[in-house]
Amino acid sequence: MDIALILAIVIPLLVIQVGLLFWALYDLTRPERRVRGGSKVVWALIIIFVNLLGPILYFLAGREEG
Amino acid sequence: MSGFGLVLGKELREQLRTMRLVVVAAVFAFFGLLSPVTARYIREIVDAVGGGQLGVAIPPPTVADAVAQFTKNVGQFGVLIAILLAMGAVATEKERGTAALLLTKPIGRGAFLAAKAVAIGALLALALAVSGVLCWVYTAILFEPLPVAGFAAAVGVLWLSLAVFAALTFLASVVARSALVAGGAGFAALLVLGIASALPSVGPYLPTGLWGAADALALGHVPDPLAGPVTTNVAFVLAALGAAWWSFRGQEL
Repeated sequence: MDIALILAIVIPLLVIQVGLLFWALYDLTRPERRVRGGSKVVWALIIIFVNLLGPILYFLAGREEG
Repeated sequence: MSGFGLVLGKELREQLRTMRLVVVAAVFAFFGLLSPVTARYIREIVDAVGGGQLGVAIPPPTVADAVAQFTKNVGQFGVLIAILLAMGAVATEKERGTAALLLTKPIGRGAFLAAKAVAIGALLALALAVSGVLCWVYTAILFEPLPVAGFAAAVGVLWLSLAVFAALTFLASVVARSALVAGGAGFAALLVLGIASALPSVGPYLPTGLWGAADALALGHVPDPLAGPVTTNVAFVLAALGAAWWSFRGQEL
């Protein structure tokens, strides 16, 4: 299997996973953002260390929508 | 149902505004892409990790492995997402007081609940469709094309299994005053149904039992039983939504 095909397969996966991670962190650091439980540090740790599930939990349950 | 369109429009706009739609679609897309890749390269991954010293004999990958990975990944993560989406649907609106505010307008309580349930179902359907298309394409590249009608039916059956967990959590979200309690009830339902699915006589009729039926459908086979489990799970969804409406119509907000 050639390298171009491997990249074509792997890159979309990386884009989604890394994209969600950085997007969640960017959203978390917005000054007006309020989070469930009140602690942004805890949410940052969840986003970074709970692989894929962390950003999902943050986006679907962690944010307090005003 | 008065106000159904109004609440549905509000829910769909909220899914876009809060980016929930994009996030859920992205996660489902991830598993749609990942499943055939994992199935195809699991031998190489195990060899790379173990340096060829593990001595684990993994049979050559087949298209059935890709399908099994897909139903397992999308089923497990999908249930989690279905619970997370439904847990705050009504409870959060009650916590904030926005449900009471919204219902002072000419919006029926049935329409309010129906619109929210439809919005969650539509989001799961869209995300599953994205995931299914990507999985089908990657499976065709890495293995062979799957029968389109069978695979579409498998995705439909997977949606039904997720809809059961979403409906049960939605019911909890209506009954409870806190989204966390509703989420806990959703996970409790997942635990109980997961344990019960180990019983051979009832397992195929439970939502997690539908994943096996989805495997067979995706490969172009007709599982036996199929009509019974599908009907049972549709009944689960309708019963949960009916109970939610029954509880909500006389509720003090």
